[in-house]
Amino acid sequence: MANAIELLNITKRYPGVVANDDVTVCVQEAEIHGLIGENGAGKSTIMNILYGLAQADKGVIKVFGQECRINSPQDAIGLGIGMIHQHFMLMPNQTVLRNVILGNTPQKGLFIDEKSARQDIEKIMKEYGMKVNLDAKINQISVGEKQRVEIIKALYRNVRILILDEPTAVLTPAETDALLETMQRLKKQGCTIIFITHKLKEVLAATDRVTIMRKGVVTGSGNTSDMSIRKLSELIVGREVNFNIPFENYKPGDKVLEMKNVSTTPRSGAMAIKQINLQVNEGEIVGIAGVEGNGQSDLVEVIAGMVPMAEGSISLCKRDVSGLDIRRRRIGGLGHIPEDRLKTGTSKVCTISENLMLNKYYSRPFSKAGVLNHRKINASANEMCEKFLVKTPNASYQLDTLSGGNMQKVVIAREFESAPNLLIAAQPTRGVDIGAIEYIHGQLAKLRNEGRAVLLVSAELDEVMSLSDRIIVLYEGEIVAQFMRDEANEYEIGEYMLGAKRQEQCHG
Amino acid sequence: MDKMMKKMGMLGGGGGKRSLKPLAKPVLMLIAALLIVMAFLAVSGYDPTAMLIGLKRAVTTDIAGSIRWAIPMLLGGVAVCIPFKAQAFNLGVDGQIYMGAVASTVVALALPANSGFWGLVLVFLAGMAAGMVYAMIAAAMKVYCNTDMVVSTLLLNFVAQLFTEYMAADVLRDSEATVQMNASKLLPESLWLPRLSYLGPSSANAGIYIAIVVCLLAAFLFYKTTLGYEIKIVGSNEEFARYGGMKPKSVILKVMAISGAVAGLIGVIEVTAVQHRLIAGFNPGFGFDGIVVALLANNNPLGVLLSGAFFGILKNGGSNMERATDVPQIITQVTMAIIILSVSSNIVIKKIKLKKRRAKNGTAV
Repeated sequence: MANAIELLNITKRYPGVVANDDVTVCVQEAEIHGLIGENGAGKSTIMNILYGLAQADKGVIKVFGQECRINSPQDAIGLGIGMIHQHFMLMPNQTVLRNVILGNTPQKGLFIDEKSARQDIEKIMKEYGMKVNLDAKINQISVGEKQRVEIIKALYRNVRILILDEPTAVLTPAETDALLETMQRLKKQGCTIIFITHKLKEVLAATDRVTIMRKGVVTGSGNTSDMSIRKLSELIVGREVNFNIPFENYKPGDKVLEMKNVSTTPRSGAMAIKQINLQVNEGEIVGIAGVEGNGQSDLVEVIAGMVPMAEGSISLCKRDVSGLDIRRRRIGGLGHIPEDRLKTGTSKVCTISENLMLNKYYSRPFSKAGVLNHRKINASANEMCEKFLVKTPNASYQLDTLSGGNMQKVVIAREFESAPNLLIAAQPTRGVDIGAIEYIHGQLAKLRNEGRAVLLVSAELDEVMSLSDRIIVLYEGEIVAQFMRDEANEYEIGEYMLGAKRQEQCHG
Repeated sequence: MDKMMKKMGMLGGGGGKRSLKPLAKPVLMLIAALLIVMAFLAVSGYDPTAMLIGLKRAVTTDIAGSIRWAIPMLLGGVAVCIPFKAQAFNLGVDGQIYMGAVASTVVALALPANSGFWGLVLVFLAGMAAGMVYAMIAAAMKVYCNTDMVVSTLLLNFVAQLFTEYMAADVLRDSEATVQMNASKLLPESLWLPRLSYLGPSSANAGIYIAIVVCLLAAFLFYKTTLGYEIKIVGSNEEFARYGGMKPKSVILKVMAISGAVAGLIGVIEVTAVQHRLIAGFNPGFGFDGIVVALLANNNPLGVLLSGAFFGILKNGGSNMERATDVPQIITQVTMAIIILSVSSNIVIKKIKLKKRRAKNGTAV
């Protein structure tokens, strides 16, 4: 079969880094090609070069056998290459139809020819078996549907080669399955797909061939059928990856967190929680499963004291903390890895050490009578960077010099160092690479084995299932199901997540 | 001072690299501004070197005048940069200066004529307290009613200014004065802040020592105290501060209190050292000069030492220029405006550069 795309010997340098070093990627016509690697491995760079967002310093790009120069996304679309970004580029208060035709509008005189546009789009939807209500506004449709709109938008521009940049990161398991199905259908119609992802299961399930990158070079490529999770992850990380999280036997101890009939007040932009009864014990990880936006944020923040409680009571280590402020709860033994590390968990323009001392700057030996001891602070920060494998020359660098995974390690270092009785870990591995995930999971397990309590919230059902001793499913702000480890598979839990089912004992 | 800056790890910020580079840019901008003003003078038919003549006098024969103007510049710069670090904007420094002046005058006139040093201390405390309270009105409105502080502090300036006029023209007016003006009685001499007599007769006064100490204290506050850390965190990411258990609202109240007290200090010094009485229009807008000083110093209190001194010289250079040549003093205002433009355009250019770089790199690396 002919090659749809050949990226030959591409080298791209940024100041101080070689993002792509002699990278060659060949993608055949009508295949799904997986592109995998850690954050910073150079996947995005090579795709940006293909899509015209960046220019290569050296190397040749061939599209359908023709050598070409791609200077802008317009050039790329002209060659039939479309890219769908992780963050959708859609106008929220316009209809689906208008979003699809944006920038490529059929006109009748001065007016938009919506009728012919509608016909064309409906033809595409029928051909590829995708269904979206064209008259719905973007802000009314689900994430999965938005993604479909993006794909339709690309197809409407006669794109034959689609680049999907981590498309499943924001989807539920069911939506992911639907996307993978759509991809197969696109392939049958002759489309070529480059599929960037962190999730190896999806690579094995959906792709025909795969290219693996690490630190700017290609470390392997070949038919997916010859690969296994173990082999792929070794190529990605460059060493053996330990997937077996070292769990000791499950023996829960005393209650650490107890929530009784806790509700929050509904606010715009957040799902309130209703009548939550929840208990987390020493030596266990309780995982909260649920589609994002079903009350996870409020649940976490009400425990942390960041969102006011409308009714109910919360106790931490058998002490009622309902009326205590954030700092007193933290002193009382609460650690909190927030879901949004940039908005809540860090300050980008501060140094790493300033980010690390948030929980202890006010206590000895780091300060005395309001005067900071920079020597002690820096020593401790450097020590923490070393212990938690934060990749930085020293802790006096600004936080935004770090990659996402390393920023998350800073958050984790800070929250673990205060030796919390209860650690709330919200989306602890969001957007971080395999090496960091392995590390973070190991740390959470270690904390649990030491007899501490962990409340894990994650949009990744896999993560919840592999780490949690108990799994709680949240739907529209209520607990709808509870399982012990290995009691249910992901499809069963998925049904509860989507509200199709609910367990009787969880009412009220 | 360089040693001190090094010690506080300020020069170069991030990677521990230290150089004079951060100073190069503002100096270049200042030179550019002066060149533009000279061109402007030449076009208008004046002697283009008039500005330089004025500036030369300001650093040689009339250094005392420069010191006199540097005092409010330094203090104004500090008063602006402290809240700015916490992303709170105090445009009401002028109002706080007025209140400080009024309060210190009232106390000074009420004290017995021979109260001496401790009387002066009391006068200072009264002025600082008045500035502090006045600043906290805006801060409390922000914290409890979420009023935009840019608007509230700005509007409170007019209230304070008119109040001062009323006090000077009516309540405290010296009815026995031979020349009638809107001014209070002279303060008893024992409550005058001493002038720097070794510089000859001038308005240069001991306030300069106070101003320098305040700059150093502000630097200490920013880089060495837990409050300084809280200010930085609140200023860079309020949500992060709250998440860590800080109380951003209380930090806002604290920085505004400190800022108001420093502003009040300007009023006290103007009354006790320069005018020796409360005069209705004593304040030519030191608060807004303070914004320029803080802007040029990039909100660094040690930088305020340099930029405040520079603006003191510039202001005094302006009056010297008027005295020595036929160029009006208003030209200094033009110079300041050009400096503001070049500083703020520098900020814009930085942002554009950043945007371009992001667009170029995409999500890579």
